[in-house]
Amino acid sequence: MSNSAHSGSHPNAGHVFRLYLAGNAPNSVRALANLYTICQKYFPQSHRIEVIDVLKEPLRALAEAILVTPTVVKVSPAPELRIIGNLSDQDEVLRALGLPQKENA
Amino acid sequence: MSDPIHAEGMEKISTGIEGLDDITAGGLPLRRTTLLMGGPGCGKTVVSLQILVSGALRHGMAGIFVAFEENAQRVSSNARSFGWDMGEMERKTLHFIDARVRSDVVKGGAFDITGLLAGLEAKAREMNAKVIVFDAIDVLLSLLDDPAAECRELYRLNEWLLRNKFTGILTTKIEDDLPGTAQRYGFMPFMADCVVILKQRVTDRVAVRSIRVVKYRGSPHVLNEVPFTIGPTGVEIGSSSGVHPEPQPFDERVSTGIEPLDAMLCGGFYRGTNALITGSSGTGKSMLAGAFIEAACRRGERAVFISFDENSKDIVRDLGTVSLHLAAHLASGLLRMEAVRTESASSEEHFTRIKRIIAEHGPRCVVVDPLSALARVGGGLAARAVAERLIYLCRNAGITVLFTSLLEGTDPHLETTALHVSTISDSWLQLSYALENSERNRALSIVKSRGSKHSNQQRELIFSETGLTLTAPYTANGKVLVGSDRAKREKAVRSERSPMRHPIETKPGDDE
Repeated sequence: MSNSAHSGSHPNAGHVFRLYLAGNAPNSVRALANLYTICQKYFPQSHRIEVIDVLKEPLRALAEAILVTPTVVKVSPAPELRIIGNLSDQDEVLRALGLPQKENA
Repeated sequence: MSDPIHAEGMEKISTGIEGLDDITAGGLPLRRTTLLMGGPGCGKTVVSLQILVSGALRHGMAGIFVAFEENAQRVSSNARSFGWDMGEMERKTLHFIDARVRSDVVKGGAFDITGLLAGLEAKAREMNAKVIVFDAIDVLLSLLDDPAAECRELYRLNEWLLRNKFTGILTTKIEDDLPGTAQRYGFMPFMADCVVILKQRVTDRVAVRSIRVVKYRGSPHVLNEVPFTIGPTGVEIGSSSGVHPEPQPFDERVSTGIEPLDAMLCGGFYRGTNALITGSSGTGKSMLAGAFIEAACRRGERAVFISFDENSKDIVRDLGTVSLHLAAHLASGLLRMEAVRTESASSEEHFTRIKRIIAEHGPRCVVVDPLSALARVGGGLAARAVAERLIYLCRNAGITVLFTSLLEGTDPHLETTALHVSTISDSWLQLSYALENSERNRALSIVKSRGSKHSNQQRELIFSETGLTLTAPYTANGKVLVGSDRAKREKAVRSERSPMRHPIETKPGDDE
């Protein structure tokens, strides 16, 4: 069972993320918060985060080769990108997403 | 609150690998974790795969193979290449998971392996799997890139295995010459109930594999390093449990193929025993071996002739010159000849191959010519163990076996220690050259013949177009005469027709 957290006004949003997490595990909770913050900041108009709880959908996680949690898959725009971890390493995450590093300082 | 191990006694899962059950006293611990460690290419994947497949095949125990390093597809086709029937079984009882970490994955913070474990748990429940192999777990752990986190995740994995009552097999790479890597996973052995180390060494340019059970909580096990091979049907481990069932001794005699020699041995070798023929190059060891095999075939017994580094055709031709004809027996299928290249494999691999040949052909008589070739590959100690096991294998199967061993020096006692087989051989014939009057004549003597009277005299061994024979000894002034001295003496005796003639008969009981 996936519960999608829609945000932004466009239904076929530009940025689609799939977040695999493990229930309320600390790293999972943090990953969701971090991803949400990034989306709010960089794609406020058009993003979609699909959350998959591997504890509830374990076979799907296995089929999609999810080895570790949390794992974020950027589904679109192509190419697909996988980031593992709670996304606290912001530099690394932003670089991977091709977003400008820190900060509007 | 009793420890389940002690409460239930040690429950084990048979590995299905010949020899591994021996050294682990019955198999791996059921519902516990076993760690297989070893350098690259030393057989971790094959060993773990074979255990998993055998559990499924023989015990209907479903299992999951999680491949962190190799393509799962390739792993399962690997299993098929060993002839393990995977078709129906694979769908029902075996599941392969490709868990290779994608190279383009980005690490953006802390994580754990909960996702994998949740997926595996669901899959295991779905197919009722009991055994789970994590092949190359170090690859997954190295992703964490933090020793503390690696340790934590490994404990998580172990706890998960125990909680779900899975039998876990973890394989991991170690490099023995890099202490860092051993240290890095130094905590792993503490966690596992059974720890097995696989090694591959190169001795005398030949790769030799070995396996050792370093630890087995709550169970006795063989502590020694034991050689093993990976052959066409999978892993075979040379058991060294040291327990050999005592076969029933035979009273029957087996002809050596040379009548006078049979007479010296009071009828030949005992059935089911082994005989060693030592001698330097050209003394006629192979000829004697040929005579033995030819006689076996003439009696209608199945026989195997294994030669190292000499073509079977050459041997057949050479034996033909002394009236020992093997071609017909080869054609009828009674005789199987195998020419082996010594340097092509380790002594352990040679042993496995010989064992297979014997199992396939079912011979009553076997020749290995020369056994000493084994000492040239993979180190003397390993070769010695192989020679011993070959002897026990034949003895247990009631096979009469004749080994030759090449002497390269002059002192037979020094030379035979190369393989030390003379101490465990039942009969020992020594061939040499007797140098007299600038003649070089072949001489044969019986060094020992267990449980049997035998002549203690050296005889001259004569090859001719009509066959092999030994001359009756002639003595003069306390010396055994050979060559032209003997001929002269024989002639003299004939012309004199004198009662001075003393052909010394085999005197049962005059030995030792």
